[in-house]
Amino acid sequence: MAAPVALNPFEERLIAALPDSGTDWRARLGRQIGTHGLPHRRVEEWKWTDLRAALAKSEAGAGELIVKGSREPDETAPVSSAPFLLMPRLAAALGGDARVFRIGKKQDGPLELDLTVEAGMGHGVVVVNVARGVKAELRERYHVAPGAFANIAVIINLGEDTELVRLVEQADSAEGVLVVTTGAELGEGARFDQTTLGFGGRLARLETHVGHPGEGAEVILNGAYVLGQGRHLDQTTYVTHNGPNGVTRELFKGAALAGGKGVFQGKIHVEREAQKTDAQMNHRGMLLDERAEIDTKPELEIYADDVVCAHGAALGAVDAEALFYMRQRGMTETQARAVLTESFLAEPLDRLADEDLKTRWMDMVRGALRPDG
Amino acid sequence: MLKITDLRARLDAEDDAAIEILKGVNLDIPAGEVHAIMGPNGCGKSTLSYVAAGHDGYEVTGGSIAFEGEDITEAEPEERAAKGLFLSFQYPVEIPGVPTLTFLKEAANAQRKARGEGPISAPEFMKLARENAAKLGISNDMLKRPVNVGFSGGEKKRMEIFQAMMLAPKLLILDETDSGLDIDALRIVADGVNAMRAPDRSMLVITHYQRLLQYLKPDVVHVMSAGRIVESGGPELAEQLEAEGYDKYATEAA
Ligand SMILES: Nc1ncnc2c1ncn2[C@@H]1O[C@H](COP(=O)(O)OP(=O)(O)O)[C@@H](O)[C@H]1O
Ligand SMILES: [Mg+2]
Repeated sequence: MAAPVALNPFEERLIAALPDSGTDWRARLGRQIGTHGLPHRRVEEWKWTDLRAALAKSEAGAGELIVKGSREPDETAPVSSAPFLLMPRLAAALGGDARVFRIGKKQDGPLELDLTVEAGMGHGVVVVNVARGVKAELRERYHVAPGAFANIAVIINLGEDTELVRLVEQADSAEGVLVVTTGAELGEGARFDQTTLGFGGRLARLETHVGHPGEGAEVILNGAYVLGQGRHLDQTTYVTHNGPNGVTRELFKGAALAGGKGVFQGKIHVEREAQKTDAQMNHRGMLLDERAEIDTKPELEIYADDVVCAHGAALGAVDAEALFYMRQRGMTETQARAVLTESFLAEPLDRLADEDLKTRWMDMVRGALRPDG
Repeated sequence: MLKITDLRARLDAEDDAAIEILKGVNLDIPAGEVHAIMGPNGCGKSTLSYVAAGHDGYEVTGGSIAFEGEDITEAEPEERAAKGLFLSFQYPVEIPGVPTLTFLKEAANAQRKARGEGPISAPEFMKLARENAAKLGISNDMLKRPVNVGFSGGEKKRMEIFQAMMLAPKLLILDETDSGLDIDALRIVADGVNAMRAPDRSMLVITHYQRLLQYLKPDVVHVMSAGRIVESGGPELAEQLEAEGYDKYATEAA
């Protein structure tokens, strides 16, 4: 644990909103932030994503998380047990009742949620429970206005033999700060298939924790991102294999333009019981300018002795000969780079079943790669 | 159409000692003419085509390139393309993930935009693509595949000519378009190129062998050796080279 810090005014305002004494978890959280501050670069898990620095001068005061859904929550209820990690714990402490969605039978189309903070700071907890044997789709769109801060915890519980396709769109949020922490627990035989598309913000972090029961269950985590000037996006994933014969596949591809910064941290943790785990994790990044940055840290932590696990990470630049070829045919350098990068980024999005969504997402990618139109 | 004067170029290496590959090339191709350049391996033919097209891997150390009377020595590759210069590459580059037609349409419209013209309509473009593909025996399936990916050497050359037809350039530089083609493919490609001959279109045909020239019937044949044009003449020069080889020029240059 990092050394105590001197609080900044933003942290002081946060703490003022929490109970200042007592033994309940909210008071403990206040003391924890009081001593250590918000996560910052000297905390290993946040070393490339300095949330504290991004918020140090924030004027974000009271605000609210607006959740517009394709339907109302089934229930709003106090958060029963406090999340373990700091940020979702803060979301639970300041976000009021959790919005609970239950998916108990075949849906008519996906559950769609638009999560926005227009001004100030907004915290909140969303719970999605998928009942045994159900196939469902969840779509989330996140947007944070300039100067605003959103901190959201998403708790996903998948029953036995469920399948959840989760599609997360993180809209370009210049000057906005966003932290989304997801915890997904899979029942036996469940399938969790997640794809994220992100464009960053002043600072944005999509952190996903998955508990994998092994045998018959499958976890797919895919993502793509394009980060322009002044945008930062961190995608952090933790998959824990708790039982044998589990399968995990991760593929992230991203591009950073001048002044854009991408972070990928992926950890696959294989417990001693999780023999015959088959896990693969890949991140491929493309630096489109000398002033672009992508930091990656893929990690395998394996306690079982009979597993097939692999990770790969590579950073590259656009192929110079391809670039010349395309320019010889008349494309501008920017355009040629954009076309090459688009095709590079398409891979994690190619699997999307909904053609309309795929087209929309590829259009967004195309737009982000051509800031000058 | 293309006038190259005392052109000198070297690899754009950091160290000043990088040797010159082009050592004073002079070439003048009037509108409507087909010129050929022949020469031994490594004499600088591809380098000349790259430098003419504006490849930034080479540094021009002297001389000039003019296109339709305008100095383009320093122009970006895409500016030259928009003015109507097309290079059929000796080694066409593979571009995974980008379908050939998507690529070409984007390129065609980029050129049109640079010339201040509106974009070509999708149906018009498709019609043109079908017509040109038919002339070259290119299947629909090939057009949908990513640019040059998974094509044989000969198929790549055929696709280069297809691209030239689609973009309708004023100057066509063909760098060893005949290599990798069997005799039937050579005839198809040569027919395609011949069909593009026009009073306002010039061609520079770089080749090693005479066989492509038998179909294309160049107006002028140049011999290149060690970074210079060392002799120019009529089509008979190509036959003479075929019979006698390049030894004579190699020793002269050494
Ligand atoms: N990118 C390069 N790197 C190293 N050497 C090069 C490069 N381009 C050209 N050369 C050298 O320049 C000379 C001319 O090459 P090139 O123009 O390809 O000849 P040609 O096309 O006539 O066979 C050769 O000696 C070749 O090795
Ligand atoms: Mg060559």
